[in-house]
Amino acid sequence: MKAGTIVSAPGLLFGAFGLAALLTPFMTLAANRIVAGDGIMAWNLAEPSAVLPGLAAVLLGLALGLPADLTKVRLAGSVLGLAGLLWLAVQGAPALLDGAGEYARVSPATGFWFLLVILMLLMADALAAMSPGPLMRGAVLAAVLGVLAVILWSGALSDLSVLKEYASRRDAFGRELLRHLGLAFGSVAAAAVIGFPLGVLCHRRARLGGAILPVLSFLQTIPSLAMFGLMIPILGWVGNTVPGAQAIGIAGIGFAPAYLALVLYSLLPVVGNTGAGLAAAPPAALEAARGMGMTPGQRLLRVELPLGLPIILTGLRIVLVQNIGLAVIAGLIGGGGFGTFVFQGLNQTATDLILLGALPTVALALASAIVMDILVDLTRRIPKVSP
Amino acid sequence: MIEIDSIAKTYDGIKAVDGVSMTVETGTITVIVGTSGSGKTTLLRMINRLEEPTSGEVRINGASTLSVKPHILRRRIGYAIQGHGLFPHYTVARNIGAVPELLNWSHDKIRARVDELLELFSMEPAQFRDRYPAELSGGQQQRVGVARALASRPDLLLMDEPFGALDPIIRTRAQEDLRRIQQRLGSTIMLVTHDMEEAIRLGDRIAVMDGGKLVQHGTPAEIISRPATDFVANMVGDVERPLRLLSLIPLSEVVEDGDAPGDALSPEASLRDALSACLWTGRTAVPIVQGGTHLGRVTLGAIRARAEAHE
Amino acid sequence: MGSRIFTAATVAGLSAMIAYAASADITVSSKIDTEGGLLGNVIALALEDAGLPVERRLQLGGTQVVRQALLANQIDIYPEYTGNAAFFFNEADSDVWKDADAAHARAAELDAAQNNIIWLDPAPANNTWAIAVTGPVAQDNSLITMSDFGVWVASGGEVKLAASTEFVSSPSVLPAMQDTYGFALSPDQTVILSGGDTAATIQAAARGTSGVNAAMVYGTDGGVGATGLVVMVDDKGVQPVYEPTPIMRADVLKEYPTIPDILNPIFAGLDMATLQKLNGRIQVGGEPAEAVARDYLTQIGVLD
Repeated sequence: MKAGTIVSAPGLLFGAFGLAALLTPFMTLAANRIVAGDGIMAWNLAEPSAVLPGLAAVLLGLALGLPADLTKVRLAGSVLGLAGLLWLAVQGAPALLDGAGEYARVSPATGFWFLLVILMLLMADALAAMSPGPLMRGAVLAAVLGVLAVILWSGALSDLSVLKEYASRRDAFGRELLRHLGLAFGSVAAAAVIGFPLGVLCHRRARLGGAILPVLSFLQTIPSLAMFGLMIPILGWVGNTVPGAQAIGIAGIGFAPAYLALVLYSLLPVVGNTGAGLAAAPPAALEAARGMGMTPGQRLLRVELPLGLPIILTGLRIVLVQNIGLAVIAGLIGGGGFGTFVFQGLNQTATDLILLGALPTVALALASAIVMDILVDLTRRIPKVSP
Repeated sequence: MIEIDSIAKTYDGIKAVDGVSMTVETGTITVIVGTSGSGKTTLLRMINRLEEPTSGEVRINGASTLSVKPHILRRRIGYAIQGHGLFPHYTVARNIGAVPELLNWSHDKIRARVDELLELFSMEPAQFRDRYPAELSGGQQQRVGVARALASRPDLLLMDEPFGALDPIIRTRAQEDLRRIQQRLGSTIMLVTHDMEEAIRLGDRIAVMDGGKLVQHGTPAEIISRPATDFVANMVGDVERPLRLLSLIPLSEVVEDGDAPGDALSPEASLRDALSACLWTGRTAVPIVQGGTHLGRVTLGAIRARAEAHE
Repeated sequence: MGSRIFTAATVAGLSAMIAYAASADITVSSKIDTEGGLLGNVIALALEDAGLPVERRLQLGGTQVVRQALLANQIDIYPEYTGNAAFFFNEADSDVWKDADAAHARAAELDAAQNNIIWLDPAPANNTWAIAVTGPVAQDNSLITMSDFGVWVASGGEVKLAASTEFVSSPSVLPAMQDTYGFALSPDQTVILSGGDTAATIQAAARGTSGVNAAMVYGTDGGVGATGLVVMVDDKGVQPVYEPTPIMRADVLKEYPTIPDILNPIFAGLDMATLQKLNGRIQVGGEPAEAVARDYLTQIGVLD
């Protein structure tokens, strides 16, 4: 009997890596927030009676990830394993901090992070095997985010260093969250407003496309730090010379240059994918549309756009995920957003302040990617048929 | 009535269509036939202004096509192309209803028309209405394409090699279907093809194009029996000529009293069918039966005599 | 008639713009490091308390970004270090930077003349590279200055220094110190931690890891404040002096001439020990810079 048919190959892989991860330090205890800490193994986190349930849950969860045919069991295993991780973290943090000093800090270490990734991959693998439709996937995402929100809200993990960083700058976090959303989503919106019509034009007139696309490609190649840096004198000049510009916030530093740089980086994918989407319509259908008396506008709205929408939305997806990450650099020029915490943390050598900026960025990017993929799927108008 | 008045199209000094004039009577099928590059498709596309004429005019029922905006004009002219061009993201019903939708017909009116056309093309509405083009066979797709072109009851239906993508068995069916539907609806049709057999089978009139010029415009019998030029004669083909002529004549014209052995033919069948039956079964005559009634027979001799007369 | 309306409109528009410019907020900025956060907030809170209109652009970025922003009139005031003027004006080789007062005077002179930027009074705290020893070591051996340190090491004092490669090998740092203060550290007496991470060297000294009892630090490091290390005073002035000083655009000073009266007394009170403690609360204690600044200003009676 072949192993592949009884035991799921990924499950086996996850199980093996998961076991290996357990043998690396699970959490670190540091004397204060700016120095490296000592690694603590999972079984040393707290009293055995407190640690055992969590360890058992993790191991059992990994084991349940093995059967090839039982996808629901694998899914349950991943949930169990994640619960075990949570348990260990919730038990371990306060136990380690007990008697460790006034400034001591506890953070998850490689063992925790590896196991988190492995168990999430196990969950994703099990879910994928169930072939969920787009709406189902949306529901799953909402459920996962909901659980995360409940865990954070309840304060169960509040002893972790990264959440202590959050606790002492709650207002700032809220401000920078809004700033980051504004930078990322706002720049994508602007790129869509500029890029869609530009993409349609470039598609219609090949010569225009031939002139514009190389320029946009060139913009993509400018390193981000250089681009953000370039914006400072340019927008500074605009802010100083154009009357009223400064009043609406155009200045060399801050939100405006970061925003403009992000918009410029977004144009090529949007324009390119718009053109590709429009080109996806079958030529015979376009000829028929023209011959039956549709105006160019009607052709665009009724035939080219609906057929090209998945490709066009994919362009937006690319840009959104790109900009969520890129917006971190705005922290270097006072643009706000999660980058503020990343660079402050770098400067203070406080790793968990860096994480306070980095983790939400990653989570936001992942969630956005999943949501955009769902949207792309929903706009596929042509049903997939077997011949 | 469609009047084509000295229409011409020049690209970069090359005359794709060189001063073509002809009249198309309402309710007839005119087939424009020629080799590739003869200008036949360009001529067709100038009628609904997908190509703008360099000079000359087209008049539909007396009104020049230049007097309305192209897209308004095209909504009154049906257009069916090779490869049908169905919208992959529309159901069959929405495809057929596309032009009525552009003309702002009411929902109910569109639905009724769609069902009417599906029935006409022998596709059960309940079964086909909500299917997508990808779920149809090639023949069904072609039929939906023609139905779509007819949906708004246009004055004129233009067809550009509409049967080109079909395999031979289905093609014949489709051609017969078109004849049947045209007779039912009384539509005026202009059809472009490179296949002389198709032209002879379908056309009330045939227009032969060569190098942008209209070489001959006449009935199939005229084209076969009195070709205007060698080119036309070649298109008909020496070998095929008598057989093509025979295919135009129904058996009802040469039936005589008497009986004959073997399988019977219907009086609507052509002399060519009877000739073929005789040759294949080794008979010298075939019986003619219509609706169970024995009408008479057709003899090889009669067939031969008719062919010789080639009028 | 039309031209009269046009003139009136233009005058109104221009006056509005001028009036708008006149009542503009003072844009307070700072660098993105810990001390930048502290001093930026101190300046902003102090000016606000005195009734001046303040717009915050704190923790903007590195030295280059903030300096450029000031020169481009994007910001109005931020805390800079006297020693940095050596690099702004390409005079790094000059010895004037090794004397606190001379450095300040030179920086103020150059910036006022070339860029219309005014340097207010500095804080008497030198945030430059230094050596710090653990509290007990300082106490037991009465070590206060680098001269004391040099004598102690030369006479066989048990020292082990944690430092970065650059600190140990750059001729203007440790070698210069050794020359001036008459001591020499053997390889056994140094522990090299690559990368100039004073947090790590401070940690090593504080914990006594591998017998380390001295660390490379920056003068006002927060880590020093939190661990009780004692910074050896550079009494012979080997290192360039970096005293934090508010610098501002001359135009803004003209418009708000009370700013020096507000800030100079506050900065005068920010000596090395105070800055170490405040930075310590932010960097080690994890308190937000604004809270620490507000608390300090309340303690010294500026804020109520």
